[in-house]
Amino acid sequence: MTKEELQALAVTKSVDARGTACPGPLLEAKKAIGTINSGDIIEILSADEGTKKDIPKWANKKGHEFLGIVEEPGYYKIYMKKN
Amino acid sequence: MEQNKKMCLALFSGALDKLTAAGVILSGAAADDMDIDVYILLQAARAFKKEIASNKDEIKLAENSHLREEFIDSLKKLNVKEWQDFFKEVKEITNAKFHICGLAGKIWGGETLEDFIDISDDIVGISEYITAAQEADIHLFI
Repeated sequence: MTKEELQALAVTKSVDARGTACPGPLLEAKKAIGTINSGDIIEILSADEGTKKDIPKWANKKGHEFLGIVEEPGYYKIYMKKN
Repeated sequence: MEQNKKMCLALFSGALDKLTAAGVILSGAAADDMDIDVYILLQAARAFKKEIASNKDEIKLAENSHLREEFIDSLKKLNVKEWQDFFKEVKEITNAKFHICGLAGKIWGGETLEDFIDISDDIVGISEYITAAQEADIHLFI
């Protein structure tokens, strides 16, 4: 998906994990995805470089659909759809 | 329904850096919905004793001991949890059990479960650890 498409997504839940280092963003994503419904979209905000690879791998392993990443100054927005 | 994968961790070290590493690894396993069995062996059993765990000065670094204060400051700046909080959170997320080695407990004067921090589940013998290690998908020693 393009940056514009990602930014236009109807996000059900946004989690700001920018205050934490690994494994904080992953655990925040894990907890948050348990609170939304199948097909809902979640956005994780992280300033941790490793999260860019960590969350997509985790999402694919758990059967969620990784949609993409938008880079913002000093942090990333990671999008995925719950299975 | 597919069974959860299993992790078995033999936690020997009672050092702050290694306990923190264990917390990070167990967090990853918890995010992955793994069932976790942690066996608290010799030095770790001392760190798990209530009076030691509550006294930060008792927990040293395994390596570069002269950098302990710098290490702790960095963890705080990065908003990284303390090792006990990592373990507590792991228990909240997944099926994780912390088993105290009976011999290790006794070596440090811990005779009953009440002598150890609250996340401890039971006091066990070596056979339990061997069985868990044999059945685990991932087996680690720290």
